[in-house]
Amino acid sequence: MKRLRLERWSGQLLSARTRPCCLRQWKQVEAFGNRRLQSSQAASKNNFEDLEADLTPNPNHPSPYPAAALRSAKLAALHARLSLPQKLPLQTLARTLVDPSADPSPDFNNASLALVGGPIMSYYVAEWLTCHYPRLPMTVLFAATYAYNGPPTLTRIGKEWGVETAAYPGSEVDPGLLQFNKVTPGSPLPSLGASTRPDNRDWFRRGISSRNVYDDEFGDQIKFPENASVSNPQPTETAYSNFVKAVVGSIYLHAGRNAAKAFVQDHILSRHLDISSLFRFQHPVRELARLCQREEFEYPVARILSETGRHSRHPVFVVGIFSGNEKLGEGAAPNLLEARLRASVVALKSWYMYSPGNSTRVPSETEEVGTKPWEPVHIDLGEIIH
Amino acid sequence: CVGAFILQCKRLDFHYCDWAGSSKGMNIFLRTALTKFAAANPQIEMVVSPRPNKHPVIIGHYINGREKRYKAELLRDASGEKLKKVTKPVKSINESVRGVWSPYHGGGIVIRV
Repeated sequence: MKRLRLERWSGQLLSARTRPCCLRQWKQVEAFGNRRLQSSQAASKNNFEDLEADLTPNPNHPSPYPAAALRSAKLAALHARLSLPQKLPLQTLARTLVDPSADPSPDFNNASLALVGGPIMSYYVAEWLTCHYPRLPMTVLFAATYAYNGPPTLTRIGKEWGVETAAYPGSEVDPGLLQFNKVTPGSPLPSLGASTRPDNRDWFRRGISSRNVYDDEFGDQIKFPENASVSNPQPTETAYSNFVKAVVGSIYLHAGRNAAKAFVQDHILSRHLDISSLFRFQHPVRELARLCQREEFEYPVARILSETGRHSRHPVFVVGIFSGNEKLGEGAAPNLLEARLRASVVALKSWYMYSPGNSTRVPSETEEVGTKPWEPVHIDLGEIIH
Repeated sequence: CVGAFILQCKRLDFHYCDWAGSSKGMNIFLRTALTKFAAANPQIEMVVSPRPNKHPVIIGHYINGREKRYKAELLRDASGEKLKKVTKPVKSINESVRGVWSPYHGGGIVIRV
Protein backbone atom coordinates (compact mmCIF):
# COMPACT_ATOMS: atom_id res chain seq x y z
CA MET A 1 0.00 0.00 0.00
CA LYS A 2 1.39 3.36 -0.96
CA ARG A 3 2.33 5.44 2.02
CA LEU A 4 0.58 8.79 2.29
CA ARG A 5 3.13 11.54 2.02
CA LEU A 6 1.51 14.11 4.24
CA GLU A 7 4.70 16.16 4.33
CA ARG A 8 4.47 16.77 0.61
CA TRP A 9 0.82 17.73 0.58
CA SER A 10 1.25 20.11 3.46
CA GLY A 11 4.13 22.00 1.92
CA GLN A 12 1.80 24.82 1.02
CA LEU A 13 0.94 25.26 4.68
CA LEU A 14 4.49 26.14 5.54
CA SER A 15 5.49 28.16 2.52
CA ALA A 16 6.32 31.83 2.92
CA ARG A 17 3.29 33.81 3.92
CA THR A 18 2.40 37.23 2.71
CA ARG A 19 -0.48 39.56 2.69
CA PRO A 20 -0.71 41.02 -0.82
CA CYS A 21 -1.45 44.50 0.56
CA CYS A 22 1.78 45.01 2.46
CA LEU A 23 4.99 45.55 0.52
CA ARG A 24 7.06 46.00 3.65
CA GLN A 25 6.17 42.56 4.85
CA TRP A 26 7.07 41.10 1.46
CA LYS A 27 10.55 42.51 2.03
CA GLN A 28 10.65 40.77 5.40
CA VAL A 29 9.73 37.52 3.72
CA GLU A 30 12.55 37.95 1.26
CA ALA A 31 14.86 38.50 4.21
CA PHE A 32 13.85 35.05 5.45
CA GLY A 33 14.95 33.75 2.08
CA ASN A 34 11.50 32.73 0.90
CA ARG A 35 12.32 29.25 2.05
CA ARG A 36 9.86 26.43 2.30
CA LEU A 37 9.95 25.26 5.91
CA GLN A 38 8.97 21.80 4.83
CA SER A 39 11.94 19.58 5.37
CA SER A 40 12.93 18.76 8.87
CA GLN A 41 16.36 20.33 8.49
CA ALA A 42 15.01 23.78 7.88
CA ALA A 43 14.62 26.48 10.50
CA SER A 44 17.26 25.05 12.78
CA LYS A 45 18.38 28.40 14.12
CA ASN A 46 15.92 31.04 15.19
CA ASN A 47 18.20 34.01 14.91
CA PHE A 48 17.04 35.81 11.78
CA GLU A 49 16.82 39.02 13.74
CA ASP A 50 15.53 41.40 11.14
CA LEU A 51 16.47 44.59 12.93
CA GLU A 52 15.29 46.87 10.15
CA ALA A 53 11.83 45.37 10.22
CA ASP A 54 9.24 47.86 11.28
CA LEU A 55 7.04 46.05 13.70
CA THR A 56 4.65 48.90 14.44
CA PRO A 57 1.21 47.33 14.52
CA ASN A 58 -0.84 47.91 11.42
CA PRO A 59 -4.55 48.34 12.23
CA ASN A 60 -5.45 46.70 8.93
CA HIS A 61 -3.90 43.42 10.01
CA PRO A 62 -5.97 41.29 12.38
CA SER A 63 -3.01 39.39 13.81
CA PRO A 64 0.60 40.25 14.72
CA TYR A 65 3.44 40.09 12.23
CA PRO A 66 5.24 36.74 12.09
CA ALA A 67 8.50 38.55 12.87
CA ALA A 68 7.03 39.80 16.14
CA ALA A 69 7.09 36.20 17.33
CA LEU A 70 10.84 36.46 17.81
CA ARG A 71 10.39 39.33 20.27
CA SER A 72 7.73 37.76 22.44
CA ALA A 73 8.82 36.51 25.86
CA LYS A 74 5.57 34.57 26.36
CA LEU A 75 6.08 32.62 23.16
CA ALA A 76 9.70 31.75 23.91
CA ALA A 77 8.69 30.65 27.40
CA LEU A 78 5.90 28.47 25.96
CA HIS A 79 8.31 26.87 23.50
CA ALA A 80 10.71 26.00 26.31
CA ARG A 81 8.00 24.93 28.76
CA LEU A 82 6.66 22.32 26.34
CA SER A 83 10.20 21.28 25.36
CA LEU A 84 9.22 21.63 21.72
CA PRO A 85 11.82 20.47 19.20
CA GLN A 86 14.23 23.11 17.93
CA LYS A 87 13.03 22.42 14.38
CA LEU A 88 9.71 24.05 15.24
CA PRO A 89 10.21 27.81 14.76
CA LEU A 90 8.59 30.44 16.94
CA GLN A 91 6.76 31.86 13.94
CA THR A 92 4.80 28.63 13.48
CA LEU A 93 4.07 28.50 17.20
CA ALA A 94 2.72 32.04 16.95
CA ARG A 95 0.53 30.94 14.08
CA THR A 96 -0.97 28.11 16.16
CA LEU A 97 -2.26 30.71 18.60
CA VAL A 98 -4.31 32.60 15.99
CA ASP A 99 -7.84 31.24 15.65
CA PRO A 100 -9.70 31.65 12.32
CA SER A 101 -12.23 33.86 14.08
CA ALA A 102 -9.40 36.33 14.79
CA ASP A 103 -7.85 36.27 11.34
CA PRO A 104 -9.76 34.80 8.40
CA SER A 105 -6.71 34.53 6.14
CA PRO A 106 -5.77 30.84 5.94
CA ASP A 107 -2.07 31.66 5.67
CA PHE A 108 -2.01 33.29 9.09
CA ASN A 109 -4.41 31.26 11.23
CA ASN A 110 -4.24 27.80 12.70
CA ALA A 111 -7.12 26.21 10.77
CA SER A 112 -4.95 24.22 8.39
CA LEU A 113 -2.52 23.20 11.14
CA ALA A 114 -5.44 22.04 13.28
CA LEU A 115 -6.79 20.10 10.31
CA VAL A 116 -3.48 18.21 10.14
CA GLY A 117 -2.97 17.77 13.87
CA GLY A 118 -6.51 16.95 15.00
CA PRO A 119 -6.87 13.62 13.18
CA ILE A 120 -3.30 12.64 14.11
CA MET A 121 -4.03 13.20 17.79
CA SER A 122 -7.41 11.48 17.77
CA TYR A 123 -5.96 8.55 15.81
CA TYR A 124 -3.27 7.87 18.41
CA VAL A 125 -5.82 8.17 21.23
CA ALA A 126 -8.31 5.87 19.49
CA GLU A 127 -5.73 3.22 18.64
CA TRP A 128 -4.37 3.27 22.19
CA LEU A 129 -7.84 2.79 23.66
CA THR A 130 -8.87 0.13 21.18
CA CYS A 131 -5.72 -1.92 21.73
CA HIS A 132 -5.54 -1.54 25.52
CA TYR A 133 -9.25 -1.98 26.19
CA PRO A 134 -10.53 -4.17 23.35
CA ARG A 135 -13.86 -5.01 24.94
CA LEU A 136 -15.18 -1.54 25.73
CA PRO A 137 -18.76 -0.94 24.61
CA MET A 138 -19.06 1.62 21.86
CA THR A 139 -20.68 4.33 24.02
CA VAL A 140 -17.94 3.95 26.63
CA LEU A 141 -15.29 4.10 23.91
CA PHE A 142 -16.81 7.33 22.59
CA ALA A 143 -16.88 8.75 26.12
CA ALA A 144 -13.29 7.74 26.76
CA THR A 145 -12.03 9.37 23.54
CA TYR A 146 -13.99 12.49 24.49
CA ALA A 147 -12.35 12.43 27.91
CA TYR A 148 -8.89 12.19 26.40
CA ASN A 149 -9.15 14.67 23.54
CA GLY A 150 -12.54 16.35 23.62
CA PRO A 151 -12.80 20.17 23.70
CA PRO A 152 -13.08 20.52 27.51
CA THR A 153 -9.96 18.40 28.03
CA LEU A 154 -8.00 20.25 25.36
CA THR A 155 -9.03 23.52 27.03
CA ARG A 156 -7.65 22.23 30.31
CA ILE A 157 -4.46 21.11 28.62
CA GLY A 158 -4.02 24.48 26.94
CA LYS A 159 -4.49 26.28 30.25
CA GLU A 160 -2.10 23.91 31.99
CA TRP A 161 0.49 24.89 29.44
CA GLY A 162 0.14 28.45 30.68
CA VAL A 163 -1.55 29.86 27.57
CA GLU A 164 -3.77 32.85 28.27
CA THR A 165 -6.30 34.49 25.98
CA ALA A 166 -6.11 37.97 24.50
CA ALA A 167 -9.04 40.20 25.35
CA TYR A 168 -9.56 41.05 21.70
CA PRO A 169 -7.55 40.04 18.63
CA GLY A 170 -5.44 42.61 16.81
CA SER A 171 -1.98 43.26 15.41
CA GLU A 172 -0.71 44.85 18.64
CA VAL A 173 -1.47 41.75 20.73
CA ASP A 174 1.43 39.81 22.24
CA PRO A 175 1.97 36.82 19.90
CA GLY A 176 2.11 34.51 22.93
CA LEU A 177 -1.59 34.98 23.72
CA LEU A 178 -4.39 32.89 22.24
CA GLN A 179 -6.29 35.18 19.89
CA PHE A 180 -9.89 34.53 18.95
CA ASN A 181 -13.14 36.39 18.65
CA LYS A 182 -14.82 35.91 22.00
CA VAL A 183 -18.54 35.40 22.47
CA THR A 184 -19.84 38.41 24.40
CA PRO A 185 -21.27 37.49 27.81
CA GLY A 186 -25.01 37.09 27.72
CA SER A 187 -25.25 36.49 23.99
CA PRO A 188 -26.29 33.03 22.79
CA LEU A 189 -23.67 30.54 21.76
CA PRO A 190 -23.24 30.01 18.02
CA SER A 191 -26.34 28.11 16.92
CA LEU A 192 -25.85 24.88 15.09
CA GLY A 193 -28.00 24.02 12.12
CA ALA A 194 -29.40 20.71 10.97
CA SER A 195 -27.23 17.65 10.93
CA THR A 196 -25.76 16.33 7.71
CA ARG A 197 -26.93 12.77 8.21
CA PRO A 198 -28.96 11.33 5.32
CA ASP A 199 -31.30 9.58 7.78
CA ASN A 200 -32.26 12.80 9.48
CA ARG A 201 -35.98 12.14 9.99
CA ASP A 202 -38.13 11.99 13.09
CA TRP A 203 -38.86 8.30 12.81
CA PHE A 204 -35.23 7.25 12.39
CA ARG A 205 -33.49 6.16 15.57
CA ARG A 206 -29.93 7.33 15.65
CA GLY A 207 -28.31 4.07 16.63
CA ILE A 208 -24.77 3.47 17.81
CA SER A 209 -23.59 1.67 14.68
CA SER A 210 -24.62 4.51 12.41
CA ARG A 211 -22.54 6.91 14.48
CA ASN A 212 -19.39 5.19 13.27
CA VAL A 213 -20.31 6.11 9.73
CA TYR A 214 -21.97 9.51 9.95
CA ASP A 215 -20.86 11.22 13.16
CA ASP A 216 -17.58 12.57 14.48
CA GLU A 217 -15.03 10.68 16.56
CA PHE A 218 -17.02 11.21 19.76
CA GLY A 219 -20.32 9.92 18.37
CA ASP A 220 -21.81 13.44 18.22
CA GLN A 221 -23.65 14.69 15.18
CA ILE A 222 -21.77 16.90 12.77
CA LYS A 223 -23.79 20.05 12.34
CA PHE A 224 -22.91 23.02 10.21
CA PRO A 225 -23.90 26.41 11.66
CA GLU A 226 -26.60 28.38 9.88
CA ASN A 227 -24.75 31.66 9.33
CA ALA A 228 -21.41 30.07 8.65
CA SER A 229 -18.67 32.67 8.67
CA VAL A 230 -15.09 32.16 9.69
CA SER A 231 -14.99 35.28 11.87
CA ASN A 232 -18.05 34.34 13.95
CA PRO A 233 -17.43 34.49 17.70
CA GLN A 234 -16.23 31.17 19.05
CA PRO A 235 -16.49 29.66 22.51
CA THR A 236 -13.24 29.43 24.46
CA GLU A 237 -13.33 25.62 24.21
CA THR A 238 -13.25 25.69 20.43
CA ALA A 239 -10.34 28.13 20.40
CA TYR A 240 -8.22 26.14 22.85
CA SER A 241 -8.92 22.82 21.13
CA ASN A 242 -7.96 24.32 17.75
CA PHE A 243 -4.75 25.58 19.35
CA VAL A 244 -3.75 22.20 20.82
CA LYS A 245 -4.54 20.42 17.56
CA ALA A 246 -2.51 23.02 15.68
CA VAL A 247 0.49 22.44 17.96
CA VAL A 248 0.36 18.71 17.22
CA GLY A 249 0.04 19.48 13.52
CA SER A 250 2.98 21.88 13.52
CA ILE A 251 5.18 19.36 15.36
CA TYR A 252 4.23 16.74 12.77
CA LEU A 253 5.07 19.04 9.90
CA HIS A 254 8.37 20.35 11.24
CA ALA A 255 9.73 17.49 13.29
CA GLY A 256 8.12 14.40 11.83
CA ARG A 257 5.78 11.63 12.80
CA ASN A 258 7.73 10.20 15.73
CA ALA A 259 7.97 13.58 17.45
CA ALA A 260 4.22 14.10 17.04
CA LYS A 261 3.46 10.64 18.45
CA ALA A 262 5.76 11.24 21.43
CA PHE A 263 4.11 14.60 22.03
CA VAL A 264 0.61 13.07 22.03
CA GLN A 265 1.76 10.32 24.38
CA ASP A 266 3.44 12.73 26.80
CA HIS A 267 0.66 15.29 27.00
CA ILE A 268 -2.59 13.51 26.18
CA LEU A 269 -2.30 9.78 26.73
CA SER A 270 -0.38 10.14 29.98
CA ARG A 271 -3.44 11.65 31.65
CA HIS A 272 -5.29 9.48 34.12
CA LEU A 273 -8.84 8.44 33.28
CA ASP A 274 -11.00 6.25 35.49
CA ILE A 275 -12.77 4.26 32.76
CA SER A 276 -14.93 2.33 35.22
CA SER A 277 -16.77 5.55 36.05
CA LEU A 278 -17.90 5.91 32.41
CA PHE A 279 -20.14 2.86 32.51
CA ARG A 280 -23.89 2.97 33.04
CA PHE A 281 -25.89 -0.25 32.84
CA GLN A 282 -29.65 -0.45 32.38
CA HIS A 283 -30.26 -4.07 33.39
CA PRO A 284 -26.94 -5.48 34.56
CA VAL A 285 -28.38 -8.76 35.90
CA ARG A 286 -29.96 -9.55 32.55
CA GLU A 287 -26.88 -8.43 30.65
CA LEU A 288 -24.61 -10.65 32.71
CA ALA A 289 -26.91 -13.63 32.13
CA ARG A 290 -26.77 -13.02 28.36
CA LEU A 291 -23.00 -12.66 28.51
CA CYS A 292 -22.59 -15.99 30.27
CA GLN A 293 -24.93 -17.61 27.76
CA ARG A 294 -22.91 -16.26 24.84
CA GLU A 295 -19.55 -17.23 26.29
CA GLU A 296 -20.96 -20.62 27.32
CA PHE A 297 -20.31 -20.13 31.02
CA GLU A 298 -22.65 -21.65 33.53
CA TYR A 299 -25.72 -19.62 34.37
CA PRO A 300 -24.83 -16.93 36.96
CA VAL A 301 -26.22 -17.49 40.44
CA ALA A 302 -26.17 -14.95 43.27
CA ARG A 303 -25.15 -16.22 46.70
CA ILE A 304 -24.84 -14.42 50.01
CA LEU A 305 -21.24 -14.35 51.15
CA SER A 306 -21.81 -12.60 54.45
CA GLU A 307 -24.33 -10.37 56.15
CA THR A 308 -24.64 -8.44 59.36
CA GLY A 309 -28.09 -9.92 59.91
CA ARG A 310 -31.59 -9.29 58.58
CA HIS A 311 -32.76 -7.36 61.61
CA SER A 312 -29.58 -5.44 62.37
CA ARG A 313 -29.72 -1.67 62.63
CA HIS A 314 -27.83 -0.99 59.38
CA PRO A 315 -27.75 -4.29 57.53
CA VAL A 316 -24.99 -4.98 55.05
CA PHE A 317 -25.29 -7.90 52.66
CA VAL A 318 -22.28 -9.03 50.68
CA VAL A 319 -23.48 -10.95 47.64
CA GLY A 320 -21.33 -12.75 45.10
CA ILE A 321 -22.29 -13.77 41.58
CA PHE A 322 -21.06 -17.26 40.77
CA SER A 323 -20.79 -19.06 37.50
CA GLY A 324 -20.38 -22.64 38.65
CA ASN A 325 -17.70 -22.44 41.33
CA GLU A 326 -16.06 -19.27 40.04
CA LYS A 327 -16.95 -15.93 41.52
CA LEU A 328 -17.48 -13.33 38.81
CA GLY A 329 -18.15 -10.34 41.04
CA GLU A 330 -19.13 -9.23 44.50
CA GLY A 331 -21.13 -6.33 45.85
CA ALA A 332 -22.19 -4.98 49.24
CA ALA A 333 -25.41 -3.06 49.89
CA PRO A 334 -28.09 -2.54 52.55
CA ASN A 335 -30.52 -4.86 50.76
CA LEU A 336 -30.25 -8.09 48.82
CA LEU A 337 -31.51 -6.79 45.48
CA GLU A 338 -29.09 -3.91 45.36
CA ALA A 339 -26.22 -6.13 46.44
CA ARG A 340 -26.94 -8.52 43.57
CA LEU A 341 -27.12 -5.52 41.21
CA ARG A 342 -23.76 -4.20 42.35
CA ALA A 343 -22.22 -7.63 42.03
CA SER A 344 -23.49 -7.92 38.44
CA VAL A 345 -22.13 -4.47 37.62
CA VAL A 346 -18.72 -5.41 38.99
CA ALA A 347 -18.75 -8.64 36.99
CA LEU A 348 -19.68 -6.84 33.76
CA LYS A 349 -17.04 -4.16 34.31
CA SER A 350 -14.39 -6.78 34.88
CA TRP A 351 -15.36 -8.31 31.54
CA TYR A 352 -15.58 -5.10 29.53
CA MET A 353 -12.45 -3.52 31.01
CA TYR A 354 -10.23 -6.44 30.20
CA SER A 355 -6.81 -5.23 29.11
CA PRO A 356 -4.02 -7.33 27.60
CA GLY A 357 -1.55 -5.24 29.61
CA ASN A 358 0.50 -2.07 29.36
CA SER A 359 2.94 -3.62 26.91
CA THR A 360 0.28 -4.14 24.24
CA ARG A 361 1.49 -3.09 20.85
CA VAL A 362 -0.37 -0.55 18.75
CA PRO A 363 -0.55 -0.67 14.93
CA SER A 364 1.41 2.57 14.46
CA GLU A 365 4.49 0.85 15.92
CA THR A 366 4.90 -0.95 12.61
CA GLU A 367 5.75 2.38 10.95
CA GLU A 368 9.01 2.54 12.86
CA VAL A 369 12.14 0.99 11.48
CA GLY A 370 13.27 -2.34 12.84
CA THR A 371 10.17 -3.45 14.74
CA LYS A 372 9.08 -7.02 15.11
CA PRO A 373 6.48 -8.35 12.68
CA TRP A 374 2.96 -7.38 13.63
CA GLU A 375 0.92 -9.91 15.58
CA PRO A 376 -2.79 -9.26 15.72
CA VAL A 377 -4.15 -7.85 18.94
CA HIS A 378 -7.30 -9.10 20.60
CA ILE A 379 -10.41 -8.13 18.67
CA ASP A 380 -13.55 -8.72 20.63
CA LEU A 381 -16.89 -10.12 19.56
CA GLY A 382 -18.64 -6.99 20.81
CA GLU A 383 -20.82 -5.82 23.63
CA ILE A 384 -23.91 -7.63 24.86
CA ILE A 385 -27.11 -6.41 23.27
CA HIS A 386 -30.19 -7.43 25.16
CA CYS B 1 3.53 6.16 31.78
CA VAL B 2 4.56 9.48 33.29
CA GLY B 3 3.58 12.51 31.26
CA ALA B 4 5.58 15.53 30.19
CA PHE B 5 7.02 17.80 32.89
CA ILE B 6 5.66 21.33 32.83
CA LEU B 7 7.21 23.88 35.18
CA GLN B 8 4.37 25.41 37.16
CA CYS B 9 5.90 28.87 37.39
CA LYS B 10 5.14 30.60 34.09
CA ARG B 11 6.08 34.21 34.77
CA LEU B 12 8.18 36.24 37.19
CA ASP B 13 7.64 39.99 37.57
CA PHE B 14 10.65 41.84 39.00
CA HIS B 15 9.80 45.25 40.41
CA TYR B 16 12.58 47.62 41.44
CA CYS B 17 13.01 51.27 42.45
CA ASP B 18 15.93 53.49 41.57
CA TRP B 19 15.53 55.87 44.49
CA ALA B 20 14.64 53.69 47.47
CA GLY B 21 17.49 52.19 49.44
CA SER B 22 15.67 48.91 50.02
CA SER B 23 15.92 48.19 46.31
CA LYS B 24 19.70 48.05 46.30
CA GLY B 25 19.91 44.27 46.38
CA MET B 26 17.26 43.92 43.71
CA ASN B 27 19.08 46.37 41.42
CA ILE B 28 22.33 44.44 41.81
CA PHE B 29 20.48 41.18 41.08
CA LEU B 30 18.88 42.61 37.95
CA ARG B 31 22.18 43.90 36.67
CA THR B 32 24.30 40.85 37.36
CA ALA B 33 22.43 37.63 38.00
CA LEU B 34 19.19 38.00 36.06
CA THR B 35 20.51 37.11 32.61
CA LYS B 36 21.99 33.89 33.93
CA PHE B 37 18.84 33.04 35.86
CA ALA B 38 16.66 33.71 32.81
CA ALA B 39 18.90 31.66 30.53
CA ALA B 40 18.82 28.78 32.98
CA ASN B 41 15.01 28.90 33.10
CA PRO B 42 13.78 29.52 29.55
CA GLN B 43 10.28 28.36 30.43
CA ILE B 44 9.63 31.35 32.64
CA GLU B 45 8.66 34.69 31.13
CA MET B 46 10.66 37.38 32.96
CA VAL B 47 9.24 40.90 33.14
CA VAL B 48 11.25 43.73 34.68
CA SER B 49 9.51 47.00 35.44
CA PRO B 50 10.09 49.88 37.82
CA ARG B 51 7.74 50.43 40.72
CA PRO B 52 8.70 53.83 42.07
CA ASN B 53 8.68 54.61 45.78
CA LYS B 54 7.82 51.06 46.75
CA HIS B 55 9.84 48.20 48.18
CA PRO B 56 11.19 45.78 45.57
CA VAL B 57 9.17 42.65 45.06
CA ILE B 58 9.17 39.54 42.88
CA ILE B 59 5.74 38.24 41.94
CA GLY B 60 5.43 34.74 40.55
CA HIS B 61 2.50 33.75 38.34
CA TYR B 62 1.60 30.08 38.24
CA ILE B 63 -0.35 27.86 35.89
CA ASN B 64 -3.20 27.35 38.33
CA GLY B 65 -3.80 31.10 38.15
CA ARG B 66 -2.48 32.05 41.58
CA GLU B 67 0.32 34.50 42.36
CA LYS B 68 2.99 34.48 45.04
CA ARG B 69 5.59 36.87 46.39
CA TYR B 70 8.85 35.38 47.58
CA LYS B 71 12.47 34.79 46.58
CA ALA B 72 13.28 33.96 43.00
CA GLU B 73 14.56 30.40 43.36
CA LEU B 74 11.81 29.42 45.76
CA LEU B 75 9.22 30.93 43.41
CA ARG B 76 10.59 29.00 40.47
CA ASP B 77 10.52 25.71 42.30
CA ALA B 78 7.09 26.19 43.83
CA SER B 79 3.73 25.47 42.33
CA GLY B 80 0.81 27.82 42.80
CA GLU B 81 -0.68 25.83 45.65
CA LYS B 82 -0.86 27.29 49.14
CA LEU B 83 1.80 26.16 51.56
CA LYS B 84 0.69 22.99 53.28
CA LYS B 85 2.20 20.76 55.91
CA VAL B 86 2.88 17.33 54.40
CA THR B 87 2.34 14.52 56.90
CA LYS B 88 1.98 11.47 54.67
CA PRO B 89 4.98 10.05 52.81
CA VAL B 90 3.19 9.21 49.54
CA LYS B 91 0.44 10.90 47.53
CA SER B 92 -1.04 8.76 44.73
CA ILE B 93 -4.15 8.23 42.64
CA ASN B 94 -3.69 4.45 42.63
CA GLU B 95 -5.60 2.34 45.13
CA SER B 96 -3.85 0.67 48.03
CA VAL B 97 -1.90 -2.41 47.04
CA ARG B 98 -3.09 -4.70 49.80
CA GLY B 99 -6.63 -3.37 50.00
CA VAL B 100 -8.47 -1.56 52.76
CA TRP B 101 -9.54 -3.74 55.69
CA SER B 102 -13.21 -4.76 55.67
CA PRO B 103 -15.10 -6.50 58.47
CA TYR B 104 -17.08 -8.60 55.96
CA HIS B 105 -14.10 -10.32 54.41
CA GLY B 106 -11.41 -12.38 56.02
CA GLY B 107 -11.83 -14.10 59.33
CA GLY B 108 -14.20 -11.55 60.80
CA ILE B 109 -14.22 -10.50 64.42
CA VAL B 110 -13.99 -13.44 66.75
CA ILE B 111 -14.92 -12.92 70.37
CA ARG B 112 -13.44 -15.50 72.67
CA VAL B 113 -14.77 -15.84 76.13
